Parts: sequence; C-alpha cells; structure tokens
Amino acid sequence: MIEIHLLMLLITVIIGLIFSYLAIIEKDSLKAIGFSAVHAIAYAIAFYILMAPDIVLAYVAVAVGIYSALLIFVVSKTERYEVV
Amino acid sequence: MKRLVPLIILLITIFGLAYYITPKLPQQTELRPLGEFYLKNSYFGDYSAKSPEVVTSILWDYRGLDTLFETSVFFIAIIGSLTLFRLNKKQEEEAKQKAEEFRIGLTLIIKSVTRVIVVMILAVSASIALHGHLTPGGGFQGGSALAVAPLLIIAAYSKYALEEHGLDKTRALIFRSIGLLGIALVALVPLLSGGFLMQNQPIFPAKLGGQLVSGSLIYYNFFEFLAVGAGFTAVFLLLAIPEKVFKKFLRREANE
Repeated sequence: MIEIHLLMLLITVIIGLIFSYLAIIEKDSLKAIGFSAVHAIAYAIAFYILMAPDIVLAYVAVAVGIYSALLIFVVSKTERYEVV
Repeated sequence: MKRLVPLIILLITIFGLAYYITPKLPQQTELRPLGEFYLKNSYFGDYSAKSPEVVTSILWDYRGLDTLFETSVFFIAIIGSLTLFRLNKKQEEEAKQKAEEFRIGLTLIIKSVTRVIVVMILAVSASIALHGHLTPGGGFQGGSALAVAPLLIIAAYSKYALEEHGLDKTRALIFRSIGLLGIALVALVPLLSGGFLMQNQPIFPAKLGGQLVSGSLIYYNFFEFLAVGAGFTAVFLLLAIPEKVFKKFLRREANE
C-alpha cells in the first residue's frame, strides 16, 4: 500500500517541478501565474499524501487563491509581457 | 524544444541524486521522544491541552508564544502594505466613487456561480476555523480561506460591489483589530487568576454545555480567523483601486 502512495507522491512532485520550471521561463506573466497555481495544486496533493492536512488547508487557500490573485493585481498595475 | 533541455537535465540530476542517496539514509523506525510526548499528552496525560487535534494544541498551547509572534509578524506585514497605499480622507472618498467608464464586472454566468460559491466558502472557512481544535485546520487556515470570498467578489463583480454592501477598508480594519485585541486578551487572561502567559488548562473550561471547546484554543482560533480574513480583505480592497485613480492622486500631489 505504501508503494502506491510513494508513487503518487513522486508523480505529483514531478508535476510540481515541471510547472515551477515552466513558470520561471514563461515570458507572459499571466500564463506564469497559471503555471504557478498548477504547481501549488500539485504540491497540495503531495502534502496531503505526506499526511499534513493542516498545511494543505493553508497552502491551497494561500498559494492557489490569494497568492495568484495578488500577482494578477500586480500584473494589472504593470506590464503583462516580460521584455528582455 | 530548446527550452525543455534544462528541465530534462534537472530531472535526470534529481533522479540520479535520489537513486544514489536514498539507500544510504538511515531508516526512521520509531517516534522521536518529543513527538511521542505531544501525541500522548495532547488529550490524555498530565500535560493535556484537552484537544484531540495535536497540531492546534502545539500551535496555540505548547508553542503558543511562537504563534503569538507569528501573528504579530503578519500584523506588521499588513500594516506595511497599508502604509504603502496610504490615502487621506478625501482621496479615500474619491477612490470609492465608481469611474464612469467602468464596466460592470464579468458575465452573468460567472456572477451567479460566484454568488453560490461565496456562501459555500464562508461556511467552509467557518467550519475550518471553529472545528480547529477537533479536526485539521485552525485560525490561519480558516482565515485565509475566508479571504478568498471577498477576493472572488472583487474579481467577478468589482470592489465597488463590496463597498456598497458595507465592507470597506475601515470596517475590515476594525474586524482585524477586534481579532488581534481578542488574541492579546485571551493570552493575558490567565495572569489574572495566577497562571502564566497563554496558559490553557486548567484556567479555561475544557467543555462548554457538553461540547468540547478545548479551553482557550477555540477563542484563539476564532480571533485569528477574524484577524487574518479581515487583514487580507483590507489589502485586497486597497490593491483593487484602479491604477488610473492612484496616478491621478500622485499627479495632483506633484502639482501642489
């Protein structure tokens, strides 16, 4: 049974890693915020598998809701596209 | 394709490291003494916090002062962002006026869905906070879930919809102050009856009307819930002021 949990943990953490990488290299800030929200969902599942429900409740609300919204507010006050 | 190369290198490195390091780590077979102490004492035992939820009893009882200072850090962070966006009385009134070319929010579908979801979020966040001493969750988790509700309203309708229904920045700050004051008072109450700061048992009653309330934990959770939810709401209300309005204020100040 524990092997299935470890496998699920591996998959979710890798999804989180991939989306955090995509969020870093993305030039369109709004898309990057979306990637970061997906990363947060993957990590919330990982925390749930690691048996930390208290963290999950705070993490989902902050990282998916409040943090993304805060960044969207910031983007709306500046430029959407990063120009290098 | 070219931008995926670093990702693949990263993944291979992590898998390689994990493959070589994991077998060499010592296996944890038994509980650490500290963890065992908390598990045995949080409800039963001599140092009981009268709460079956170990995490909340650590947060607000055994390690209560840590959480008190954590709350003060959050308080200072909110104060900092309020200072960044400070407006005088006249500007505040002007920021509440709807701009003429302002479009009224998103489509009807999103508005109706938001209306239903906001009620559900309020119920869930209250249950997270007020059952914090029984099930996973607590004041901060419930408060940050509560803050999502005004956020959704701001996104689907506008910040003016919130202000017209009476939730403006001043009210949010008043709720936040009530929360912080409540936390400070609950922390100081044990001193009156000869206890120490933030003591829980046996000063606060563990049961009220046959319901397990775990002494002071439910009060801390409730006040933290108010403080966090209202603090976030105040910041969002300030952030939602359109950039055009801010620029107008700045230009006027520069001219004066």
